[in-house]
Amino acid sequence: MAYALQTLWHEKTRYAAGIGAVAFSAVLIALQVGLLLGLFEITSIPVDHTSADIWVGSKAVLSVDLGRAVPMSHLARLDKPGVKMPEFLYLWFGNWTKPQGGTDLCMVVGSSLEPDAAGAADVLTPELRAALSEPMTVVVDRSDLGKLGISEIDDRAKINGHEVRLVGIVDGLRSLAAPWVFCSLTTARTVLSGVIPNEHVSYLLVRCESDQRAREVVEDLRRDYPDMSARTADEFSLQSRWYWLTRTKAGVALGYAALLGLLVGALITAQTLFSATMASAKEFATLLALGIPRRKIYGMVMAQSFWVGVLGVLIALPVVWGLAKGAEAGGVKVDLRWQVLTGAAVLTQLTALAAGVFALRSVRQIEPMSLLR
Amino acid sequence: MPASSARPSLRAVHLTRTFGDGAQRRVALNNVSLDLYPGQIALLMGPSGSGKSTLLAVLSGLLNPDSGQVLARNGGEDYVDVWSLTDKQREEYRRGHTGFIFQGYNLFPALTAMQQLEIVLKWGQDLGGAAARRKATEMLDRLGLGDQTYKKPAKLSGGEKQRVAIGRALVKDPTLLFADEPTSALDWENGQQVIQLLRDAAHERGATIFVVSHDHRMLPYVDVSYHLEDGKLEVTDHNGHAAGGAR
Repeated sequence: MAYALQTLWHEKTRYAAGIGAVAFSAVLIALQVGLLLGLFEITSIPVDHTSADIWVGSKAVLSVDLGRAVPMSHLARLDKPGVKMPEFLYLWFGNWTKPQGGTDLCMVVGSSLEPDAAGAADVLTPELRAALSEPMTVVVDRSDLGKLGISEIDDRAKINGHEVRLVGIVDGLRSLAAPWVFCSLTTARTVLSGVIPNEHVSYLLVRCESDQRAREVVEDLRRDYPDMSARTADEFSLQSRWYWLTRTKAGVALGYAALLGLLVGALITAQTLFSATMASAKEFATLLALGIPRRKIYGMVMAQSFWVGVLGVLIALPVVWGLAKGAEAGGVKVDLRWQVLTGAAVLTQLTALAAGVFALRSVRQIEPMSLLR
Repeated sequence: MPASSARPSLRAVHLTRTFGDGAQRRVALNNVSLDLYPGQIALLMGPSGSGKSTLLAVLSGLLNPDSGQVLARNGGEDYVDVWSLTDKQREEYRRGHTGFIFQGYNLFPALTAMQQLEIVLKWGQDLGGAAARRKATEMLDRLGLGDQTYKKPAKLSGGEKQRVAIGRALVKDPTLLFADEPTSALDWENGQQVIQLLRDAAHERGATIFVVSHDHRMLPYVDVSYHLEDGKLEVTDHNGHAAGGAR
């Protein structure tokens, strides 16, 4: 292993292409998965930023933003031991009219504003909740101000023709297609009055005394009430993200791009190792003449591919970090949790090793007899 | 010079080897037989393309003959036909008994002089790091390369590089040492050093040395010399002139 590393260092320029290719693959995968996860977090924001344990919605709801109306009367079905006070939640698309004209989609999120409300987003501070208690007031995320055509507190706009006033700006709740617009149950009921039937809401939310109890309650509800959907918060969060991944094909496209990046990285690394081995063909042939088993030379090539992988990953880390920071400055979240970085590192390391296996062909071609021609 | 009671360490028996066919057919070895003895340095000369390297390759277990035998002493008193062994057995035989020196030094550019020898001991004899280092250092000292132990080939002269290559060939104490044009890339001062080292390996360590070269200046340093031309082998005298048959 030490000889391999020493050789790599001594002939840096020769191995640079391979190391660069590995670094490129690692950066590509980490960034793409990080972007994917960043995107997906957006799709499950209502679930991830509230404290409800169980989400009850319309039958076969596919993603938290695609729920249909459920009767408020379903609340009675949630009266079970271990289940705390249920709440209503409005989560519905609305038509936002900008002050200067022009419309856009928005996602109205109307919830209880009690201090311990299960459906209130965690970014809504007590002050913001107090402000929202006034009817026809809304809070939006800073990243969406431009899209909504508003810029400061007290700016006015319309949702589905109803005038609303901005009373607060939060951070960290980016949106995908439709900006989140947080408001009270009352405000939501009013602006959505033309689109949601009376006595209907989007979701019923409850908290449970434990995760185990939540799972049990969900089982019971599914069995007893097939005309509605019941999910734990974790399930619903993952399901929403997964829906966006597969149905919209966004993840598949990114996955293909990442795979391509890996392939390119592998090919370049294999070629680098192949030609590096052939460049030392005479030296290896001498060792073979001396009776050194060929498998020792295979081992040297594999050790080189290992170090190429390690060095490539090490170079990739600061590059990924820098690029992620750049993306975030542009308003795009890149989730580089340790699972993403480790996964990308492992994947590219395995690819480097696979490239090494491919390069072993070169060792098979080396014959000591070639030294005597 | 070999002890009078010594049996040959290597016997070539009626070797033939041809290359190509039809109009391109070339006979490199035509019924070649010879005996090599421990403690003896033998020189093979002949015109370019005469098959000298072919004979070296067949004797050393690198190229199979079309017919004939290469009998080597396998440690004890018995002979084994090198070409009746499997590839793996032949590789083991080379590992345990042979060393090679080539015209090109073939040293790894990234490794120090010591590491060039260590690698043979670690990979060939599974020696541990400390033992390999010790043997390598001793060999380099004996070859006058004590100050060059940590230098890489780029910092060594041609003569020094060839001495490192000799060290690599000798460090595992082979009974047979094959050298193909070992001095061609060197000036005569360095070449003399090399041939002297090979002679010492023969006379002091009892190794059997077989050198292929076109350099007549080596003749005074060797114990027996041969001439190979048109596939036929003859013993020659100290001036390189024919002196009768090969045995």
